[in-house]
Amino acid sequence: MKRLVLLLATIAFAFGGAQAQRLIVGQGADAVSLSPHQTNDQPSARVMRQIYDTLVVQTEELELVPGLAESWEQIDDLTWEFSIRQGVTFHDGTPLMASDVKWTLDRLRNPETGAPAAFLVGFIDEIEVVDDHTVRITTKNPFVPMLAHLAHTATSILSEDAVTAAGEDYGTSVVIGTGPFSFVSWETASQIVLERNEDWWGGEVLPAEVVFRPITEGTVRSIELETGGIDIAYSLEPRDSARMADQPRIRLFEVETLSTNYIGFNAQKEPFDDVRVRQAINYALDSEIIVDVVYEGQGIVANSPISPQVFGAHQDLEPYGYDPERARTLLAEAGYADGFSTTLWTNDNPLRIQIAEIAQAQLGEVGIQVDVQVLEWSTYLAETAAGNHDMFILGWVTVTADADYGLYALFHSSQFGSPGNRTFWSNDRVDELLDQGRATEDADERMAIYREAQEIIAEEAPWIFLLITVETNGTRDNIEGFVAHPAGHHRLYNVSKN
Amino acid sequence: MIKYIARRILLIVPVMLGVSVIVFGIMHLTPGDPAILMLGEAAPEAELAALRTRLGLDEPAYVQYGLWLGRMLQLDFGRSIRSNRPVTAEISQRIGPTVELALLATLLAVVIGVPLGVISANRPNTAIDHGATVLAFGGLAMPVFWQGLMMILVFSLWLGWLPSSGRHGGWVYYVLPTVTLGTSAIAAITRMTRSTMLETLSQDFIRTARSKGVFDRSIIYRHALSNAMIPVVTVIGLQFGGLLSGAVITETIFSWPGIGRLAVDAIRAKDFPVVQAVVMVFAIMYAVVNLFVDVLYAFLDPRLRTRYS
Repeated sequence: MKRLVLLLATIAFAFGGAQAQRLIVGQGADAVSLSPHQTNDQPSARVMRQIYDTLVVQTEELELVPGLAESWEQIDDLTWEFSIRQGVTFHDGTPLMASDVKWTLDRLRNPETGAPAAFLVGFIDEIEVVDDHTVRITTKNPFVPMLAHLAHTATSILSEDAVTAAGEDYGTSVVIGTGPFSFVSWETASQIVLERNEDWWGGEVLPAEVVFRPITEGTVRSIELETGGIDIAYSLEPRDSARMADQPRIRLFEVETLSTNYIGFNAQKEPFDDVRVRQAINYALDSEIIVDVVYEGQGIVANSPISPQVFGAHQDLEPYGYDPERARTLLAEAGYADGFSTTLWTNDNPLRIQIAEIAQAQLGEVGIQVDVQVLEWSTYLAETAAGNHDMFILGWVTVTADADYGLYALFHSSQFGSPGNRTFWSNDRVDELLDQGRATEDADERMAIYREAQEIIAEEAPWIFLLITVETNGTRDNIEGFVAHPAGHHRLYNVSKN
Repeated sequence: MIKYIARRILLIVPVMLGVSVIVFGIMHLTPGDPAILMLGEAAPEAELAALRTRLGLDEPAYVQYGLWLGRMLQLDFGRSIRSNRPVTAEISQRIGPTVELALLATLLAVVIGVPLGVISANRPNTAIDHGATVLAFGGLAMPVFWQGLMMILVFSLWLGWLPSSGRHGGWVYYVLPTVTLGTSAIAAITRMTRSTMLETLSQDFIRTARSKGVFDRSIIYRHALSNAMIPVVTVIGLQFGGLLSGAVITETIFSWPGIGRLAVDAIRAKDFPVVQAVVMVFAIMYAVVNLFVDVLYAFLDPRLRTRYS
């Protein structure tokens, strides 16, 4: 009898153990490709984060710590030397060499590759292999945020041999990295299966297997979590997370993202070339209503162009606040006492359309007649890049969590149009500060530089600063160790299932 | 008969050619640039140009069409712009689940719709007939996304009987998507069977049969139903064709890895090679189903058989 009990207990344990190590994650869309040089979308990045490693790792607290590079040294303003970790192997058993690092970054920045994330390494002038485990990167200009860029999943290190051998099939049927999980299979729109890399240099990997399932409908994703069909659900919709808030078997993780939403003006067009008009519109629109109604409270009103989590964010700026009286006065001072007519463009994102409608109603109250126009996404980007707009709604994710990424492309005069500055607003002092920010090593000095830049930007108001979004992820209550990353690509090697 | 089938198959060729011109034309005339869609909000012009060159989008449209048509004739559909996966691999992975679902939904619709229609027609204006009519109109009027979500709410969340999404893990995963997809087809087939049965039952030969004292059941199932089936078969064929290409919403709600979702994702990303190939596949499937229905007519209706023999 004892033996039987022991046997049953062993079977139960073995079964429970095996089951415990398979982690099923639901996200809103399938990955596009698992080659970091083919795509730059979030669902793909969330999977790639598990398969690949980057030279530098950005922790959940947004600190930059050694990854495949165990140390680095800045030799002069333009030169950095990275020591590559020894004894690291790719999932196919071949060792990681400095030449793989050079090859990967060269391929990423090569225009012929046509990589969507090539801009991330646009600062690189040359990469040199010093020895098997040392590379030297020379930048075109001094570029302090380099480490944050080298922590982005798009700069994940690939195996030159594996990518070359797989040719066009790399990223879909062949995927080789050095990360905590290796690629097993991918049935498109159904599931991606990864298994534990026993030899991972970073230590023990808890789940034996991770399965990523695309579940497009937000409500269905939440029901899958509630019914135990999945263990972790990413990006729950506000109404679903509100419903699950008091369920004992579900744990919710709210994380302030690095993503900001804004309405931009065409600052070179009348009447938006007048700062008083831009400020007036900032006063006329109640961002709190947008957070409460459109985002159902899942956001915080923005006081600056970047999320408070980003290095360099100015935490003490006062948001404009809702003050229609002041808006009317400013408009009158600018010569628009009777208001004016204008257009507000958006793409077909339902949240943005709602924002546009609220803006239309509220600006109408101060005499500004707004015509809302919805454009197809790529047309929208092309037309705003060409400067054919009056006002437009967009978002920006400062993925590197460094102010340079969140400000340079959007406010520097060298970035007009498609590189990111679609307001065509510029300010000599801000240009100067943003250039200095890239070249200044001292963290306090950089912080001061970016604070000043944000003060000018807030005062000059080329945007209506709307909100910073808050994302809710959920897990079953038997999941331990899940920590949400503000950039959205959460690491899973340390997550266990009891 | 064989000549008739051969002629019908040959007719598919110009139809396909027409479809290829239309789909290529629409994809290139509608706004949208795949390079911008891939690179997003921050994309210097030089990078956009490099990507367009890599994707072959800088060639004139007629050259792109010619190249595409030439490759397609060799059954080479190229690679997806977005994922770089071969289009044939994309489609072959996704077509199976859709065909499975459409077949099951059609089967369900026939098994429920035909008997329900016959019963209704046989007892017109009774409670059963009215009940079936209400059900049928309900089925036709109910939006698929609403029905799908309600079924998930009841059978997955409240009762916990059935899984709400996915396809891995056995027959239980097929129940909700099949019923959701099949509901409107059940309704359409019920209505069509009812009206053609009513019409047939009022014809002279049925009256003759009745006057000869033929059993009621025999009249309905042997004499009337076989005559009433021709329009019903057309509806079944059309429904099946429609379910094949129209399962997008069901596939989205239940995260079913079908070809409808592939088509929608590809259209949104302006993934030309995938959209063009998927539409061609839809067109071929539709044409084949139509051909099959026409041939089936000949078997059901001896008059057609003699005309083409």
